[in-house]
Amino acid sequence: MAVKTAIKVKNLTHTVTANTGDLTILKKINMEIKEGESVAIVGASGSGKSTLLGLLAGLDINTSGEIYLYDHAFSDMDEEARALLRGQYVGFIFQSFHLLPSLQAIENVMLPAELKGDKNARQKAEALLAKVGLSERLTHYPSQLSGGEQQRVAIARAFASSPRILFADEPTGNLDEGNGSIIIDQLFELNRSQGTTLVMVTHDNELAKKCDRQLVMSAGQLLEH
Amino acid sequence: MQFAIRLLLRDLRSGDILTLIIALIISVSTVTAISLFIDRLQLSFEKESASLMAADRLIRSDDAIPQIWRDKARELSLQQAENTSFRTMIFAGEALQLSLLNAVTDTYPLRGQFLVDDTLFGAGKTTRQPPQPGKIWLSSRLASLLNVQLGEQVEVGETTLTVAGYLVRDPGSSSSAFAVSPRAVMNMADLGATGVIIPGSRVRYSLLLAGEQEALEQYENWVKPQFNEGQRWRTPIQKGERIGDTIGKAQSFLLLAGTLAVILSGIAIALASSRFVKRHLMQVAVLKTLGATPATLIKTFLIQFSLLFVIGAVIGLALGWLIQGLISSLLSGLMSTSLPEPSAARLWLGIATGLVSMLAFCLPLMQRLIKISPMTVLQPAIRLEQNTLIIYSIGFIGMFGLMCLYTQGFLLPTIMTLAIAGIGALVSLLGFGVFRLGRSLTSGATSGWQIGLASLYRRLIPNLFQLLVFTLIIMLGLILVGVKTSLVSDWQQQLPADAPNHYLFNVQTEQIDPINQIIDELGVPRSDWYPMVRGRVISVNGTTIQSLYPEGRGEPELYERELNLTWSDSIGKGNKLVAGDFDAEGLSVEQAAALEADLSLGDKLELNIGGNVVTLPITSVREVDWGSMQPNFYLILPKEILQDYTANFVSSVYVSDAKAQAFYNEMAQFPTVSMLNVGELLKQIQTIISQLSQAIQLVLICILAAGGLVLLASVRATLEERLEEGALLRVLGARKALVQQALFIEFGSLGLLSGLIAAAGAEACLYGLQVFVFNAQASWHPLLWGLGPFIGVVIICAIGLSASRTVLKVPPMHLLREF
Repeated sequence: MAVKTAIKVKNLTHTVTANTGDLTILKKINMEIKEGESVAIVGASGSGKSTLLGLLAGLDINTSGEIYLYDHAFSDMDEEARALLRGQYVGFIFQSFHLLPSLQAIENVMLPAELKGDKNARQKAEALLAKVGLSERLTHYPSQLSGGEQQRVAIARAFASSPRILFADEPTGNLDEGNGSIIIDQLFELNRSQGTTLVMVTHDNELAKKCDRQLVMSAGQLLEH
Repeated sequence: MQFAIRLLLRDLRSGDILTLIIALIISVSTVTAISLFIDRLQLSFEKESASLMAADRLIRSDDAIPQIWRDKARELSLQQAENTSFRTMIFAGEALQLSLLNAVTDTYPLRGQFLVDDTLFGAGKTTRQPPQPGKIWLSSRLASLLNVQLGEQVEVGETTLTVAGYLVRDPGSSSSAFAVSPRAVMNMADLGATGVIIPGSRVRYSLLLAGEQEALEQYENWVKPQFNEGQRWRTPIQKGERIGDTIGKAQSFLLLAGTLAVILSGIAIALASSRFVKRHLMQVAVLKTLGATPATLIKTFLIQFSLLFVIGAVIGLALGWLIQGLISSLLSGLMSTSLPEPSAARLWLGIATGLVSMLAFCLPLMQRLIKISPMTVLQPAIRLEQNTLIIYSIGFIGMFGLMCLYTQGFLLPTIMTLAIAGIGALVSLLGFGVFRLGRSLTSGATSGWQIGLASLYRRLIPNLFQLLVFTLIIMLGLILVGVKTSLVSDWQQQLPADAPNHYLFNVQTEQIDPINQIIDELGVPRSDWYPMVRGRVISVNGTTIQSLYPEGRGEPELYERELNLTWSDSIGKGNKLVAGDFDAEGLSVEQAAALEADLSLGDKLELNIGGNVVTLPITSVREVDWGSMQPNFYLILPKEILQDYTANFVSSVYVSDAKAQAFYNEMAQFPTVSMLNVGELLKQIQTIISQLSQAIQLVLICILAAGGLVLLASVRATLEERLEEGALLRVLGARKALVQQALFIEFGSLGLLSGLIAAAGAEACLYGLQVFVFNAQASWHPLLWGLGPFIGVVIICAIGLSASRTVLKVPPMHLLREF
């Protein structure tokens, strides 16, 4: 059986308007990512990695070209439709965690399921937090957790909506080596067990090597290794 | 719905929601408390001033009241009473005295009470019942002039009445305050038997009415078109009357206070909602990445804001009700009459304020939340470009609408809006200049001065905004303090405790010395003696007064009647020269009288004095304080014109209660001298004024407290960023003192600058308010120039430094983790 294409990009170009004039951040990018694949996007700071990740996840609208998420073209959609698609297919992990400070760990993890109106949000969240080893920390607020713990909560949250594609932006960027490797292990473990496609931006070569493929960004262009 | 509520409940713990609810509670409760209190006071003033007129409305007529008017009042279920007032001789044995006699129906008075005593010159006990048929009440002075006691009989025309009490106060007396004859009250049932009213007698008929506002208005509309020239419709608070003006000014003050409360509420809600939005931007971006659609977010926020509004409004209303109850009960000990119950119908104003503020400030900001790009989570530098000017303009328009609704007019809101816009421009210009100057004078970060001044310039826009908020709050406080101080002192000056309470009329030249002797022996203060000659203005610059004043121009009809003319060497107490030269050989005209006929210096007036016609140019214009209770005149003529006419003299004296008996006894030697006692009226006015002053004081405290809370909120709104910087400095090894000094410089400069601008703004606003709203003399307020900067520096620094204590106590690591 042929493997489905999770993401397809055709002639993607992205330009932003800065004080100094128009700035092209991404130039004519073409790529495909298969379902279940893990891909690392690496490259120097300012090469356009995060912009590409945001566009692939439908967080922003590209200037020209096309992006398909499971055959859904983002360019044809308004924010409402893109948000629905994100809710349905996508999970996120960020460098600075972005947990909501006013919510407890469990409440943060429940959020995606609650947004979908899932009645079993709490049970699912508890199970996920148990998987990342935080059963004892359910009612802690983000400010009461260490960086590593916060990122584990973020991973649990990312998987709470059972995403088919997980986008991770420097998931270990704010963590020490020890915590970083725990996070990586948990990330890949969940990825495997749930058959999720993983797209990750990272500076960490070790982490990049764990992925099936590495895409190198350089001055807005994509080179594949 | 459930998701929105769950999220809201979870957010409650973070404090941002709490800040918004507190802001809502402050606005709703302040406006509710003030509007309810104003409502109660207004009802109380109306009651009080209605009691000065003995009715809610009154028709005064030179002819008998037509039966159809009574029937109509009955039809509209209005209460009615009648008073027929005339001058007549009252006889007691050999003694006789011209008196002002009021014949009243059994229902009189409809409002207020009589004060009657069994002893001569007693303080009086209240009663609502007029004298029984066959009985008469005499004022103590009249009784002593007639030398009659209780139970003895006096003759009025063809009938005999028994003296049943000494009249201290007739509730309707103020309306005929300048009737100089001593007063008496009898029952209307005896009027026919006296036979004193014959065709051609000068009689004043009054029909008194009381009842529902709507019925009164209906009656007014029905009856007024039927009036002839000698008939007048009177309301308790009549413009131009001293008491009416006093109450009017108090109402304007309270209205102003309420309007300022509305602005404060707006500021509080704007601050809280902008903090809410700022803290939720990232949260919303994250929710969007998790799949929250704009529709879900709009629904979520609408539900959240509606819930917040309901919670804030309910608590605010309850609190507002409690606060006004508290103010009223504080006042109840001081006020002579109890305040009427507040009407729940006024609650809508508090609700409207909360709702409009929420809609005006929260909704545009909410839109900002919904529009935030989810990309922000990856690239925090991307923030939605949002025109804050538009957001705040919407808020501003909302506030303006509320103020108009509140004051039911445009004048006050327009003055306030222009002032705020002016202040905004001034704050931006001055703030920018000063912050920039501060920055250019310093470089490096070795002292608190350098760090403090540098951060002022670095956070230019937020600092300018904060400067504006500080300035507005301080300015609002200063305006209220200024208005209150000048109103209260104006009132107290108008009626000092020893203001003359008796006028002496019809005094002949040869009587002056003996009367002066009596007055001096009793130690009674008196004003100067003024000669009085009757005269009438017949033309102005050759145009007759009839053509200048067609019929029905309304009161005071200065030029239609005979005026009292006088001469004087000096301009006199209570008079102020506003134009021309008082010593010149011409006429000196009172300002309002000049304005009424559009007279100016040099105009020629033709006067008929005792059959002789004289023409004189106007050489000076005076402003007269009619409240000074000194004898005052519309026209003062040169001495050589008037000295050949027979004049009688007038003066005013202050007779204390203790000296009244002795004074009346002595004055009984001069039966031809008329004496007018305005003491009771003055006491009533003084009571109202002191009540008003106290009420105003309490409202002021209430608003200043709310202002203080908003100030606190606005300092806290920007504290976080400052604290973060402080924590960083501490990490880098800065001593506590340095961080403290830098914060002190920053807050101190903001406070000083806002205090100074606020003083200037308040001074300008007070000028506008005094001239256009209160119709008073504009004056400087040196107190404000000290108070403004003082409040600015001390309070803002105190709030800022006390809130930033955590930075200095807690280890820097903890702080950095929190940010």
